Amino acid sequence: MTALLDIRDLRVEVAGGGWFDPAGRGRLTILADLSLSLAAGETLALVGESGSGKTTLARAILGLQATSGGTMAFDGKPLAEPGDFRAIRRRTALMFQDAAASLSPRMTVGDAVIEPFAIHGVPIGNRRDRIAELLAEVGLAPDMAARYPHELSGGQARRVGVARALALKPALVIADEPTAGLDVSVQAEILNLMADLRARHGLSYLIITHNLALVRHVAERIAVLYLGRLVESGPTGAIFADPRHPYTQSLIAAEPLPDPRKRRADLAIRGEIPSILRRPAGCEFHTRCPLADAICRYDRPTLRDLGQGRRMRCHFTDTTTKGGRHELEHR
Amino acid sequence: MSEPVLSVENLSLGYVTPEGTVAALRGVNLSVDPGEVLGVAGESGCGKSTLAAAMIGLPGPNARIQSGHVRLGGRDILALDPGAQRRLRGREIAMVFQDPMTAFSPVLTMGAQLVDFQANRDAASGREKWRSARDMLARVGLSDPDLSMRRYPHELSGGMRQRVAIAAALLMRPKVLIADEPTTALDVTMEAQIIHLLRELRADFHCAIVIVTHHLGVIAELCDRVAVMYAGEVVEVAPVDALYHAPRHPYTRALLACDPANITQRAARLPTIGGRLPDLRDPPSGCAFAPRCTMATPRCRTAPPPRVAVAPGHNALCHEVTP
Repeated sequence: MTALLDIRDLRVEVAGGGWFDPAGRGRLTILADLSLSLAAGETLALVGESGSGKTTLARAILGLQATSGGTMAFDGKPLAEPGDFRAIRRRTALMFQDAAASLSPRMTVGDAVIEPFAIHGVPIGNRRDRIAELLAEVGLAPDMAARYPHELSGGQARRVGVARALALKPALVIADEPTAGLDVSVQAEILNLMADLRARHGLSYLIITHNLALVRHVAERIAVLYLGRLVESGPTGAIFADPRHPYTQSLIAAEPLPDPRKRRADLAIRGEIPSILRRPAGCEFHTRCPLADAICRYDRPTLRDLGQGRRMRCHFTDTTTKGGRHELEHR
Repeated sequence: MSEPVLSVENLSLGYVTPEGTVAALRGVNLSVDPGEVLGVAGESGCGKSTLAAAMIGLPGPNARIQSGHVRLGGRDILALDPGAQRRLRGREIAMVFQDPMTAFSPVLTMGAQLVDFQANRDAASGREKWRSARDMLARVGLSDPDLSMRRYPHELSGGMRQRVAIAAALLMRPKVLIADEPTTALDVTMEAQIIHLLRELRADFHCAIVIVTHHLGVIAELCDRVAVMYAGEVVEVAPVDALYHAPRHPYTRALLACDPANITQRAARLPTIGGRLPDLRDPPSGCAFAPRCTMATPRCRTAPPPRVAVAPGHNALCHEVTP
């Protein structure tokens, strides 16, 4: 099966600029040699903290962010020239993090959901029917069409965002934090809606989030990013059952569990993600890693294949116990 | 039993809007014991942030207190004049907001603001205030407090700003700290660190903490007691272990059941609550949760539910709960 989306060694760099470097000679690496693929009908979650490059990757896929290396292909066709992105834009859609803010305050819900037809010059048929159809698809009553965004609740605004994303029957939906800021019951409704639509239309999702509880239910595969570099990827079940990279382990351990009997006495992870202006040498995670050793400070680990579709970037083969670590033989 | 440091007594509060008065709080009774961590849980629109604002005497210009009191160390703070209220804030009660960016002025350094917050400390000199602010920043875990004092809010990360906000709230050693969604704007790793910090600070300063959040995981990690709110009412109060392991109110049960973090097995469909919050411009005469409740009987729709005590310190506002 060919991948719907195939990304190889993608690099995104931006000019340093600023007061000391107005010519921008220094280059800041936002995404470093990232390879990912997404099969048709699959859901892949990109996980990482703020500043890990998740949103930059989404923008690069849509052609909204210039890349400086690597290749991307959508449905077998390369994405390189601006025209390539325009050609796929009808088949990709973006769900924004802040759904209410992504809607024009002066456009009714009905106008907003059919705007993609006008933008892409797609014949629409009967406007009224099409609006009702799209709203029904996301579980909204037809009379919502006359409302303005400020009259919507958070969950309703999110549904309008989904309806708008689905208007042109895309193959790939990129969802940036699809449930951020929603109440738990509404979160569950949106996740169920996304699952239904996927079953009905065979959609593929690329979900960008830092919410691991969400990822577990919707994603088949997870890719964990740290400072723009892929540190671990693999099937969701396997990663939750046995996370191998110390960063993935601490992300999972940091999630507060709704059970007071499972309180953690100790902190899973200390410190903050470093600024990309001061990218650590060696393994980028060594500044916060509980296992870090001398080698991690100067030598950058490569992405190793662990089998069963899992990949991991760490010098140590046994990362599950602090004492029993074994260093990989260093070439 | 020691005297509660903060108690809310039969508080009803409405917001005046052009479309009518919205009953945001309806007969809330709640007390906070010294040194205790109380969690207030509930979905958007349930009144939890209104309750937090009322606790510190800042319910907003269009709020009308219809009945009830908020007592802080014996004084009814809602009845005090604004000057007297202001003198209590900081010294007796302090607040941490969801978005630490908007809690600080963008045009002053953190140090200048932290010194300003101590304006009520008449006996201390400027240098002493600077030093205690600096020490407090070190205490909340900023690695270079001297540098942080000279920074502007936008130069700090979200997690660091929230630490400074907590430091600012604790500067005057208040008896009660109110935190409204203190970790909602942060990544999971920062969230875990802020939870850890609040736990340590509670042990160090012996101040009572009220955490208002919709995140049930944060409450489970941090709180001793939990109050669950729905449509302006406290529908269940329980010790934290009982709330998560023996919830009685149908709303609490539904809320726990639909939290994706509670479901460890991969599920194709997640449970939801269904339905909407009632319109609080015209609150229902019966139980507010009845239209969404799976246990509701005709009685629930007409008669206001009783508060049923099910165990010491555990009660639920429901017709169908038996002691």
